[in-house]
Amino acid sequence: MTAPRSGARRTLAELSVPSEPGNERRAMEEVGGAVSNLGLPKRTLERLKTAVAEATMNAMEHGNHYRAEVPVLIEVSASEADLSVRITDEGSGPPAFDSETPDLEAKLEGVQTPRGWGLFLIKSMVDEMNVTGDEHHHTIELILHLDGQTEGGT
Amino acid sequence: MAVRHLEVEVRREHGGAVLDLHGEINGFAQEALDAAYAEAEAQNPEAILLNFEGVDYINSTGIALIVGLLARARASKRRLLAYGLSDHYVEIFNITRLSDFVSVLPDEESALNEASAT
Repeated sequence: MTAPRSGARRTLAELSVPSEPGNERRAMEEVGGAVSNLGLPKRTLERLKTAVAEATMNAMEHGNHYRAEVPVLIEVSASEADLSVRITDEGSGPPAFDSETPDLEAKLEGVQTPRGWGLFLIKSMVDEMNVTGDEHHHTIELILHLDGQTEGGT
Repeated sequence: MAVRHLEVEVRREHGGAVLDLHGEINGFAQEALDAAYAEAEAQNPEAILLNFEGVDYINSTGIALIVGLLARARASKRRLLAYGLSDHYVEIFNITRLSDFVSVLPDEESALNEASAT
């Protein structure tokens, strides 16, 4: 399996993960496996896996409320230009993310909660993050630009 | 994939107390981490060293737990040092600014030297 050479988008994997604590690790490893033939540099792959884990954890916790029977759906696809990972839960209303930018000094002083790193980590790890939703689903799309993102690239 | 629950061993070295961490630092890790930190703190060391060589996964909840340890260390005027982090987690310590407050060293020898030097 290699990245498509045309502008066409190709699905690399469709995954379903039960909403149970700890399953974000399974999601990140399965996505890592799905993109293994793209030749991403190790650093880029590790960053993608962290973003996938955090987005999946958010979907399981806030979207599906850790109901094991309600899965998080993950679609991995690639075009010549980018890699996309779409993570969908069955939550309703606006996606729940702590929108406050984490400030470590404020956390150490007790002004902010120690938590609230998820969205910050996701945004730091990928090139783009898009959030969409309706009354039945939330989807977080993680995008990596593939220009130069091959082994030996920057 | 089964969760590798965190196990922590505490030992005393010249320079500080070392917490040898094994497993994942996530929401399941709080009890083990808090208990080990309390055991180390009871020795009244000037520095506490977190050994991440046996850790292969830290999530955002785990980062929050480390922030909590850092807050406890600062409250009791102890230094917190970390070593054995992978390159990826060193980057996350930099992005979150944890590395501004926790000295990040490559290995135990350099971490103990750093702890003893100041």
